[in-house]
Amino acid sequence: MKTCPDYIVQYMNDYLDGDLEPSEERVLKENLVTCQDCQQIYHELTKTVAFVQSASQIEAPRGFVEATMRKLPKQNQRSGAQR
Amino acid sequence: MDALVNKRIAQVIKGDQNAFAEIVELYQHRLYQICYRMLGNKHEAEDIAQEAFMRAYVNIHTFDQNRKFSTWLYRIATNLCIDRIRKKKPDYYLDAEVRGAEGLNMYSSIANDDELPEDELVKMEIQERVQYEISRLPEKYRAAIVLKYIEELPLAEISEILDLPLGTVKTRIHRGREALRKQLSNL
Repeated sequence: MKTCPDYIVQYMNDYLDGDLEPSEERVLKENLVTCQDCQQIYHELTKTVAFVQSASQIEAPRGFVEATMRKLPKQNQRSGAQR
Repeated sequence: MDALVNKRIAQVIKGDQNAFAEIVELYQHRLYQICYRMLGNKHEAEDIAQEAFMRAYVNIHTFDQNRKFSTWLYRIATNLCIDRIRKKKPDYYLDAEVRGAEGLNMYSSIANDDELPEDELVKMEIQERVQYEISRLPEKYRAAIVLKYIEELPLAEISEILDLPLGTVKTRIHRGREALRKQLSNL
């Protein structure tokens, strides 16, 4: 059961965006020390971020550049080329 | 990198098509990745990434060289991805807000109906699972989350790419993160 004000979750989000005022940060930290539910939410949010960031960087398939270049319209058909 | 890109752009505008290959070379992986994370499908990602480069090429003379080329290119690509996602779903009722669920509409409800059984989720590889969870987000949150956490772009740049005020971008990231948190509560 959550009894803390809604702005606490907002503070968590702002904190994760590096967007929280120092005075608000103090409020958030005090809250996290005393409220287990909020602690849980905060923990899940940071876990979520770490999870999404764990996605590996993927690369375009081989031959992508050549395939893309082949699809370009021929130069003389392109509008705006000659000015 | 921007100086090099602008040099190549000038060559393309003068009619040197080959100079564009170097631009594709430079941005192919990041552009493909954005498309793949948005669409969750390799063939579609390739298709849309190529389409984005093609549009950039055709409209290159409209690009303002005082700005960042990647921002402009990513904007073309995210718009194409969002269009593609919308076309895949019947849209006659999807935009209707669901009563009592602020900020949620039928898209998110549908996403939740798609949920896989617990044991299926446990069997998934982590990489697969990340992609699965991202693809369950409504597309307007998806774009913001992908640009923020996969591409790691600053909020100001995301706001330019998505053509949205900074405040709206923040809200979408907050909601996207919150939606993901709920989706992942069994992790």
